[in-house]
Amino acid sequence: MTADFDAIVVGSGMTGGWAAKELTELGLRTLVLEAGRPIVPEQDYTEHKPPWEVPFRGLGDRRGVAARQSVQSHSASFDELSHVFWTDDADNPYSTPSDRPFYWFRARQVGGKSIIWARQVYRWSDLDFEANLRDGIAVDWPIRYADIAPWYDHVERFIGVSGQAEGLAHLPDGPFLPPMALNCVEQHVRQRIADKFGRTRVLTIGRVANLTAPHHGRAPCHYCGPCHRGCITRSYFSSVNATLPAAQATGRLTLRPFSIVRSLVYDAGKNRVTGVRMIDANSRVEREYSARLIFLCASALESARILLNSGLANSSGQVGRNIMDHIKWGGASGQFDGWTDRRTIGERPNGIYVPRFRNVSSRHPDFLRGYGFQGGADRAGWHAALRSPGIGPALKQRLTQLGPWSMSFAGFGEMLPREENRATLHPTLVDAWGIPSLHIECRWGENELAIHRDMNVAAAELLEAAGAKHSEPNTGGPSTPGGTNHEMGTARMGRDPKTSVLNGWNQSWDVPNLFVTDGAAMTSSGCQNPSLTYMALTARACHYAVEQLQRREL
Amino acid sequence: MDRRELIQWLVATAGLPSLAFGRQVHRRPLRRSLSAHVERTLAVATERILPGAAEANVEAFIDKMLADWHTPEERAHFLAGLPELDRRCRARAARDFADCPEADQVAVLTALDDEVSAAGTNDHWFARLKYLTVYGYCTSEAGMRALRLYPLPWRYDGCAPV
Repeated sequence: MTADFDAIVVGSGMTGGWAAKELTELGLRTLVLEAGRPIVPEQDYTEHKPPWEVPFRGLGDRRGVAARQSVQSHSASFDELSHVFWTDDADNPYSTPSDRPFYWFRARQVGGKSIIWARQVYRWSDLDFEANLRDGIAVDWPIRYADIAPWYDHVERFIGVSGQAEGLAHLPDGPFLPPMALNCVEQHVRQRIADKFGRTRVLTIGRVANLTAPHHGRAPCHYCGPCHRGCITRSYFSSVNATLPAAQATGRLTLRPFSIVRSLVYDAGKNRVTGVRMIDANSRVEREYSARLIFLCASALESARILLNSGLANSSGQVGRNIMDHIKWGGASGQFDGWTDRRTIGERPNGIYVPRFRNVSSRHPDFLRGYGFQGGADRAGWHAALRSPGIGPALKQRLTQLGPWSMSFAGFGEMLPREENRATLHPTLVDAWGIPSLHIECRWGENELAIHRDMNVAAAELLEAAGAKHSEPNTGGPSTPGGTNHEMGTARMGRDPKTSVLNGWNQSWDVPNLFVTDGAAMTSSGCQNPSLTYMALTARACHYAVEQLQRREL
Repeated sequence: MDRRELIQWLVATAGLPSLAFGRQVHRRPLRRSLSAHVERTLAVATERILPGAAEANVEAFIDKMLADWHTPEERAHFLAGLPELDRRCRARAARDFADCPEADQVAVLTALDDEVSAAGTNDHWFARLKYLTVYGYCTSEAGMRALRLYPLPWRYDGCAPV
């Protein structure tokens, strides 16, 4: 029997779009199954809708959120317009222990979370790939920077990354488009930090997948601001804006929205997956599609859920384990005298970045690994007047006055992999389509909490070096696990089939024609925003898989 | 990229229907949660709190928020407090708030603002009225144009003169 397709890709987001592009360009007839709806940018993107055309002017549909999106609404990029790009919590339930909340953010539509991501892209280095081996934590990565570097190049050249080359060994540069501008206070802070810390602490402009020059037919950013509502000029990378159109152009892509994958079909005689079982989200009719090659790109926890529901690829017992996210909400902000005759104009969809500086060239006594700072400087506008005294012309005058310059540093810290942070199939809970859902147990460990505490210390040092007044540490405590939207690790790569799910090519140890290339594959979490690494791993795995197919090894 | 280039990109990639940037015609939506008296009181009060609020139709925004956003308790609390404006104006000028001389309206609102600001409380009905007035104005087309937040500049300048 011939298969329906050469390859099936489950998911159409950050990594599914890349798998679709690479596999179709390499000649494979590829079916992409997306659980959610199709996206038509001209209809679905709302970034230019002015506030007065939005029912609650951006304050959000409070009742709708309480009823249907009480989890999703905690995401940083969830708002009254972008809420349509997040799932319905009532249809997509999951459970956690009552004392261990975990935010599971999901984006079911063509494009997935690539529509609402924060677009920050940072390479990893061997500081990260060697970390588990060096520290004796979990298992060693099966790859090193040299293995992935050409794929970082490959991905960055296609998606377009604006940034400043800094020559830091632990945050390698790429083929950057021109950097976005630091504003006057950020330039000052960069210089003062350089004066105090030399090259041990560096403030640079964020490396962001927003274009600053025309790129493969996509227009440069026009600084309107709310990228998470879409981008009609395709100025930031998403699979809708870039990879899926490239796959479509090959004539070998079949994209099927409203297709919820329940499980994989397995032929024990051949030890191969032969297809997927899916449910049409609207008609609820179930059907199967067959293919020679399967790529799971459904997001870390969804891909693990599919594997667990299939009872496959889990001889190691590691599927669903080692959940990681990045711990955040540590840091500080401070005010600056001066520059009162200066302001920013336009909305830069990007901030500053301070690459990791802990445990790089010296050893911190309190914790392993480290964190990076994101943030930026600006002046408060009319929002500061919402609660200020006065009425009449005096109040109106106050609305036009800008507050002092304020600069913030917000840390994003590495999380260590631990087996007990895990997702399991819930014994009874199912989603609206009857598919067993997950029970998620995840909490920060001592190392993450020590990192979080240190964020306040180091941010205060940076602000002091920069000459800030009224420096205030963040006092809100750490973020909720999952809340950074960087969940990963649930089908890790490794060197040993007994302790890892995937080999060094994102290939299942157990089932050779099955690949998992989303965040599930991550063996450690780094502290950098992870999507770039997911994309590079995906492109690399696609080329490997097609070579293996051609050699009839799969 | 200048504005002309941007428009070319938008036309090339998007089509014009999504470019609804024209000046909005003021449409007064149907009243949802307010009596005619309350709406009139709000129209006058919001204009006195923030000149320009009436042109920006802020009372319609407050109506929408009371009808579809606030809880029944919050709405009841707000509407129970609002007649305080009439009571204070009748004590000063023997008329309801909306029919008082402007000087009395301003005096009543100023006294309330002083009291609420001194108490530092955000859950007083007047604090809610003022918050909604400022927020509604600053997110209206008239308000955003007055504050130079609209139209969008289509560029970033990190060190522009004020």
